[in-house]
Amino acid sequence: MSAKHLFLQPGFVRAPLQNGVGRYVCQLQRIVLKFCKSHGASRGMRDFIEQDLVEFAKQNPGVVVYLKPRRHRGPVVVGEYLNGERVWLTVHNKTHSEITKWIEVLRTQQCNVSNIRLRKYQYTDHPSIQGPWTPWTFKHPELNVDQLPDPKWGANNRLPRTATDELRLLFEKQKLNEQELKTGE
Amino acid sequence: MALIRAGLQRIANAFSYGQGGMLSRFMNNLVPIENKTTDTTKEVINECNRLIEQNTSRNFAIIHLLGKQWRVTDGDLLVVEGYWPPNIGDKIRLDKVLLAGSKDISLIGRPLVQPGLVNVTATIISKGLSHTRTHFKKKRRKQFMRINFQKAQQTMLRINAVEIANKINETPKNVF
Repeated sequence: MSAKHLFLQPGFVRAPLQNGVGRYVCQLQRIVLKFCKSHGASRGMRDFIEQDLVEFAKQNPGVVVYLKPRRHRGPVVVGEYLNGERVWLTVHNKTHSEITKWIEVLRTQQCNVSNIRLRKYQYTDHPSIQGPWTPWTFKHPELNVDQLPDPKWGANNRLPRTATDELRLLFEKQKLNEQELKTGE
Repeated sequence: MALIRAGLQRIANAFSYGQGGMLSRFMNNLVPIENKTTDTTKEVINECNRLIEQNTSRNFAIIHLLGKQWRVTDGDLLVVEGYWPPNIGDKIRLDKVLLAGSKDISLIGRPLVQPGLVNVTATIISKGLSHTRTHFKKKRRKQFMRINFQKAQQTMLRINAVEIANKINETPKNVF
């Protein structure tokens, strides 16, 4: 069963056209602001158009801005991206500052990133550089030629120390304290 | 500590359990050495410097970013969540490098490798919002139900380069 029927589709981290490898290209290509000149629901939108739109267009020469006045219809922002996606956002009764923030989100995102649930937060073409770990990594090559089973390899080394071991350890420590030893550390 | 380790080595030998012996977990390669120490260190460092200069294989680094550790190499994409000031198109250097390496060598920081030794550069390529996460709480038979929706800010990074810029065991070019 595929995930095609799901409302919220899962996906992986992707960037269109190797964006950012050489240089960065803003993915928003076109933005259309639809609004009504008289209706109250478009008030924030009209404020934005009057105060910030020219500045926005100046700062983003790569983004084409269209204004579409229409009578008694709700205000809408539509963004179109380089990968062909179209993000439709209704800004009914939104204030000037809210609209500024939403348009900033449209500008900075690379496509409609909020309609997929990310399954991984990293993407790499090279999952391992030093080679994946196996149970035989860092093992002595002698193991390859030895006849198994062999107590040399199969001994249980997780047993607690016995009293005899403790005594011998104490004895060796005592001896060490008497003479100084130089190590590779 | 070194003394004790050396002692343990000898004890383990005394027990003659060999490789899988009872004390093998206390053992390591720190056997007592008289005058070889400096030579071996120099040899290893020279070999590492030679490998860094040749730069035959791909480098990787483990970096610390917004409370998480990421293993990165050239061309990787990362997504970090939460408020983070860098904006799209910004090129940044990721300075908290915990470990760096290539195919044959690993430079392990304690906790960070020497500043200026490893250059990890990245570009911010996208800042958007995550999908809507639903927080639904219900207690049975208690007339209690809450539903909350939230979206987190997501920033996507492209790792441009992971390069070992300096030779190891040289005086640090202190960039900070």
